[in-house]
Amino acid sequence: MKYFLLVFETMRQNWLRTLLTSLGTMMMVFVVTLVFSILTFLDRATSEKSQNLKAIVSERWQIPSQMPIAYADALSEGAPQKEGDHRIESKDSMTWSFYGGTTEKDLRLATRSSFLFAFALLPSSLLTMMDELDSLEGPLKAEFEVVVGKLADNRRGIIVGKDRLAALEKSVGDTITLYGLNYKEINLEVDIVGLFPPGRYDNSAAINRDYLRAALDAYPQSHSGKSHPLASKSLNLVWLRMKDKQIFEQVSNQILSSSSFSSPAVKVETASSGISTFLEAYRDLIWGMRWLLAPAILVTLSLVISNAISIGVRERRMEFAVLKVLGFRPWQILLLVISEALAIGVFSGVFSAGLTYYMVNVYFGGLKFPIAFFGEFRIPWEALWWGAAIGGGTAFAGSFLPAWSARTVKVSDVFAKIA
Amino acid sequence: MCLRKLRDVLSADGFGTIVPRDSTMLFSLIAAAPWQIRSDSWLVIGMLGGTMTLLLTLLVISKVPLSYNVLNLTSRWVTTVMTALAFTLVVSLLTVMLAFVNGMYALTEQSGQPGNVIIMAEGSTDETFSNLGVTDIGDIENQSGVARNDQREPCVSRETYIIVNQPIEKAQPGKPKRRFLSVRGVDDPAMSASVHGMILTNGSRWFSEAGVQQLAEDATGQAAIEVVLGGGIAKQLGSDRTSAERAKARNSDRLDLEDTFELNYRTWKVVGIMESLGSTFDSEVWAKRSLVGPMFGKNTYSTLVLRSDPNFRRERRKEVMLARNERADKTLEKALVNFEKKRSEDMARQAADTKKKPSLPSRPVREKVEQPTTDAGWGAEILKEYFNTEYEKSKVNAIVETKYFEGLSSTNLQFLIAIEFIAVVLAIGGVFGVMNTMFAAVSQRGRDIGVLRLLGFKRWQILVSFLLESMAIAIVGSLIGCALGYLWDGVTASSIVSSGQGGGGKAVVLKLVVDLSTLAMGMCLGVAMGLLGGLIPSLSAMRLTALEALR
Repeated sequence: MKYFLLVFETMRQNWLRTLLTSLGTMMMVFVVTLVFSILTFLDRATSEKSQNLKAIVSERWQIPSQMPIAYADALSEGAPQKEGDHRIESKDSMTWSFYGGTTEKDLRLATRSSFLFAFALLPSSLLTMMDELDSLEGPLKAEFEVVVGKLADNRRGIIVGKDRLAALEKSVGDTITLYGLNYKEINLEVDIVGLFPPGRYDNSAAINRDYLRAALDAYPQSHSGKSHPLASKSLNLVWLRMKDKQIFEQVSNQILSSSSFSSPAVKVETASSGISTFLEAYRDLIWGMRWLLAPAILVTLSLVISNAISIGVRERRMEFAVLKVLGFRPWQILLLVISEALAIGVFSGVFSAGLTYYMVNVYFGGLKFPIAFFGEFRIPWEALWWGAAIGGGTAFAGSFLPAWSARTVKVSDVFAKIA
Repeated sequence: MCLRKLRDVLSADGFGTIVPRDSTMLFSLIAAAPWQIRSDSWLVIGMLGGTMTLLLTLLVISKVPLSYNVLNLTSRWVTTVMTALAFTLVVSLLTVMLAFVNGMYALTEQSGQPGNVIIMAEGSTDETFSNLGVTDIGDIENQSGVARNDQREPCVSRETYIIVNQPIEKAQPGKPKRRFLSVRGVDDPAMSASVHGMILTNGSRWFSEAGVQQLAEDATGQAAIEVVLGGGIAKQLGSDRTSAERAKARNSDRLDLEDTFELNYRTWKVVGIMESLGSTFDSEVWAKRSLVGPMFGKNTYSTLVLRSDPNFRRERRKEVMLARNERADKTLEKALVNFEKKRSEDMARQAADTKKKPSLPSRPVREKVEQPTTDAGWGAEILKEYFNTEYEKSKVNAIVETKYFEGLSSTNLQFLIAIEFIAVVLAIGGVFGVMNTMFAAVSQRGRDIGVLRLLGFKRWQILVSFLLESMAIAIVGSLIGCALGYLWDGVTASSIVSSGQGGGGKAVVLKLVVDLSTLAMGMCLGVAMGLLGGLIPSLSAMRLTALEALR
């Protein structure tokens, strides 16, 4: 106990140095926590799962994927062809059609704030299949169930993310007309029935797929019987949930071996693999964050701490000499200096990570850094131990050499100088 | 250049419409600051000049001998080196990060030709999503505003742009098994190249009229598709080969002439490599449109790129500018009405519930209508106006090519904001580190300060002396940081450029650009850190009386 008191007393005596080192550590831990949060999120999104995994079926070659709507039903079931084939339950599948529109009638005057990107899907799949929305709990889930119910009841309904709604300058209950951008001349009058829970879908929207299909079906009536150019390409993605990797392989084989999906050909991949492909374009940026930015900050932090501790050790040579005279062993002096550094590092690290967690997640509602289709990141709970580890690790690395030099202080040298 | 960036942020989003700004405007303004621009950025260089002037002034007015400072720095050399190292790391990080964004800006700015106009389908803002009617093509390219070559052919590039999801057959374990490959199908490659200003490397040729050639060694009997590769993508595709294949290849760094790769169960043979000009085309595969369009399910043209006649409707230049100004006025008027409405709603909401925070919408500003400065620029502007307002055969969206590529810099801005944020936070952390060093220097040299005061040196002279010390450490550290950062100049990296929501994007291979303004920015940050970090300790040194210092 006395030992710890000694550590804290030294820190108190050099309060200015302690404070400055601590503040420097906090700033650096803050940046590293942000970087690690993004990297961890991306790593999780791209790491292959062996259980309860999601698969994406899409057009084999082209981006954006455009498949005939006729593929939808069979693909949603996993294309079972014979007895013994695996059939996906309806709650475990979701089809996506992308509808891009603007509230500006004259498309040439459309601004970014008037754009709206919507997933056209079966409303119930929002609760069962949509990433993050399928894991909602408590009041958030109950609230969103009500909103999804409204979308199911009102074919013209639309659910909008809070940021997009603000950009459109509209409110829940308003009716807007969307003028089709990718679906040229498919204009949809939609009623805003509710909001997405805050987070990933703040800038997105969801409409009932039946409404889009009905609009495409009605198109020939006003165009001398000619179908809409995208009528046969309106299915963009099919999501399937599978129990395990084995089922994934089986369903994948069922789909790829079926002659029904040959024109255009389709591919089946796990969601993580699909995300990896999208992130491939950011490969060097992610590499830079992982292997350049984070290590450089850690080294800088070690230097800052090392510098502060070295200065302290130089100023306290006399104190160490006295401690040695009082019977302290060299390793105890080494431990004393390292403990001081660790106390500053760990405390500052945990404090900084905790503050980052609160500020980013609670105050700002997420870290906005658009990369691929992820627009926002949150700081995970693990950040608290990252803070401790970063602060402690860099403090240890930075203080070891100065502590070693304190350990080797020669009593005779110090007192000889004074004499 | 700097002001142009600032204007781009303040003005609208490429549609000539101004929208009320939200809280991100502050970040946008910061991001529009000078450090994002390159060698013609006199403001950044001016900032560095100002910093250097300050340093020189301090040197001139400093009465305490410099040798005293040098002695102190060298006698505490471990501390000095470690502090300088921290500067080196922070400055080199900033330099590399800015070089990345610089590379992205260079890419988007160098991709467009000033006299070109891109024709897309109405409502499309990106060529990925554009589908032009085949029947309209002939009419569009025969309009009088389109320039013609010596053979009286319209200077038009007919294109189908496809993003192909390419499987990487020999992907290393843990690495992605697919990538997005930009394939541009063109009808007449020589014409397309002349419109885009692309040239081939020595020994290269454009693909043949048929676009295919029979390979003797191909047992399947299917002809190979002839392709011309951009320099960046040739390097990426080359990296897919195994080390044994690379060892045998005539060029181990990239795919070269006569090399082949597999895609969509076909062999693709490289017949040409485009000279790397730092544009988005460096990241593309060019092939015969009639082959690759249907192969990947896109039978329509995505865009027509027209070279405008620089003399097209010369007499109407004033009229066009007038019309654009009027449009900008009307848009502003509309935006102001919306702004006032929103503000009054906001005030009413606040009056009803005082706890409610006001949303504080920003007042919209008028779009600055920029006047072209060259004939080519005028030609493109007037041709664009013609297609957007007068052309009636089909509805199209015409965009001046340089503006189109400028619009793809939305990602750049996002990265830039992130970089600036990181740089500022790191710099603050670094300032605390410098303060530590300088406070230690002050406390260790209390007696020195006392003696200096007794010798008649003024308080401010002591301040300057300590400031010079911290700035010297900063300058040395920053110089080494800049030198390390400069090593990254020209290094290639992959990224995405896009125009944000509703825009699409392009996977590109870019070159990091470390230029004068990047280095100047690194130096400015370093010196600012040194100045701020040294100021408070120097002030504390200045406040010491001779008696206190000697006690």
